[in-house]
Amino acid sequence: MMAWRHFALVGFFLLAGMGLVVRVVYLNVTERQFLIDQGERRSIRAEAIPAYRGVVYDRFGEPLAVSTPAAAIWTDPKSGFLDDAGIVAVTNGLGIDAKVLRHKLASNAGRGFMYIQRGVGWEDAQALRALNLAGLEFNTEYRRFYPAGETTAHVVGVTNIDDAGLEGIELSFNEMLRGVPGKKIVLRDRPGNTIKDLEYVNAPRFGSDLVLSIDLRLQFLAYRELKAAVESHRATSGSLVMLDVASGEILALVNQPSYNPNEAASRSTRGMRNRAVTDTYEPGSTIKPFTVLAALESGKFRRDTQIHTAPGYFHVRTKLVQDPVNRGTISLETVLKKSSQVGIAKVALELEDRAVFDVLSRAGIGEYVGSGLPGGAAGMLTEAGLKNPVVRATLAYGYGLAVTPLQLARAYLCLATNGIRLPVSILRQDGAPQGDRVFDEASVREVVSMMEGVTDAGGTAPKARIEGFRVAGKTGTVRKVGRFGYDDERHVAWFAGMAPASDPRIVAVVLINEPKGDARGGGAVAAPVFGRVMARTLHLLGIPPDDAGLQLARAH
Amino acid sequence: MSARSIVYWLVTLVLVVVSGIQVAFSTHEVRQMHVALQSVQREQDKALAEYSRLQLELAAVAAYQNIERTAEDELGMAFPTEVQRVEQ
Repeated sequence: MMAWRHFALVGFFLLAGMGLVVRVVYLNVTERQFLIDQGERRSIRAEAIPAYRGVVYDRFGEPLAVSTPAAAIWTDPKSGFLDDAGIVAVTNGLGIDAKVLRHKLASNAGRGFMYIQRGVGWEDAQALRALNLAGLEFNTEYRRFYPAGETTAHVVGVTNIDDAGLEGIELSFNEMLRGVPGKKIVLRDRPGNTIKDLEYVNAPRFGSDLVLSIDLRLQFLAYRELKAAVESHRATSGSLVMLDVASGEILALVNQPSYNPNEAASRSTRGMRNRAVTDTYEPGSTIKPFTVLAALESGKFRRDTQIHTAPGYFHVRTKLVQDPVNRGTISLETVLKKSSQVGIAKVALELEDRAVFDVLSRAGIGEYVGSGLPGGAAGMLTEAGLKNPVVRATLAYGYGLAVTPLQLARAYLCLATNGIRLPVSILRQDGAPQGDRVFDEASVREVVSMMEGVTDAGGTAPKARIEGFRVAGKTGTVRKVGRFGYDDERHVAWFAGMAPASDPRIVAVVLINEPKGDARGGGAVAAPVFGRVMARTLHLLGIPPDDAGLQLARAH
Repeated sequence: MSARSIVYWLVTLVLVVVSGIQVAFSTHEVRQMHVALQSVQREQDKALAEYSRLQLELAAVAAYQNIERTAEDELGMAFPTEVQRVEQ
């Protein structure tokens, strides 16, 4: 009796197990194709809904980067649903060669997914969609346009084909601009056509718009003048940075060479580098105002302190410091005006070991600018060797350190604000930011008024003068380091300055790298660019002239 | 079965039927709203396409170079070369 129940139970389980095996074999072998077909026919998939990328505007609302809806057209080559008539229709609609597409389809025949074309304009895509071709799929995506093209290319940057920032603002503010894609659940039939949307999981959140500090008018102006100068001097590259003194905003930032962000083909590393932010150069004589500032701060020097530069050269240990001509005994003001190496080196050697270094580091030399543009370099300013008089003498005229043009502009901004260091920004600021006082006001005013001499008739940069305005600035002509020490053939021409000098509103730095014409100095190459750009800028911004020598017309 | 449990049973039945009909209605409504959403989204895409096209056109027309060229070549205007301060 017990044995019978035992065998019955074991037999039952054996039968049940065999039944399961039979069922598994049946489903996997006999019914396999049917089930796969059914499963795919009922396939339910999650699809991303792309988010509209935010628009980038200049400070007055001119668009600099705009997204426009487009379509990515794709097909499943393995399925072969896209027939020959379909190929002809698509290639006609997109204006591409049918032979090329056939070849592409053939070489991707084993794949389940192939883009036919991306970034197809919205109208063209609509026209193709209306044809209801089998095997043709449309994904919405967004294409980026840059109306100002190469003028703003380095500031705004570019996105890649998947709408992610690669350079410039597009990169550094990518998270803000890109938004959050939405998600929906769709039901697809076997050819992969979406039969219906089942569920809307979440809506895409559009990216935020961004307003830059750039003034497009000034940007155009700066770009045109810089490009003309780089071409006429056959220079390797050039940069121009313009800052607003009241707010520390970047009003214009341009480089040569540039590239057209609307054409992927024109993108080269050479053209895409934002040199004003990423490249460092020795600043040369543009540092001299800071040495003069250190001298004034020490209390040992005044504007009219006489400095002996005769016979036009002297040795610091084994290092020869020399002027092009013997200037004799001249005042500190004239040292700056004539850019005397001997004079400024002698001044620096009279000061404390760290004096010039301290002034430069307070002005932000050797520190990241943190403007919001990516890839910024910190430049180089080192404390090492300050005990060595050779190092101190060369630092006084701007050798042995490296700055980016943006950094130098920020340092000059400290002078233009009468000694207040402001954060520099590429985004439009509401109201003036909080700055830190880094220099004594009276000393800075004195330096700026001495810098006006540079653009006078006897100075190094009369070409930076502007009719009706007083301009304070400083030239720099730097020999570049070649394979065998400093190279006499390759130069960097600088001009850094501000206007109107009585109450500076705009700071600008111009750099022309390796000019190859007869003129190579900062006064001959960079200063005229500064003068032309600044003159137009002052007019455009409606800044009143401050030169007392102008005519006064009275209107009634 | 007592009369009371029959009443409970009937009430439950009615509730089930009513909620079933409600589900059918709301499913229908969801579908209709979905269709509406899709058409609104298409409209949004179309409007965005037009908006961005217009913005680009505007940017091209209002470009600084264009304005300068028009002012100088067509209207015969010039940038002031001589500075005068006008006081009232």
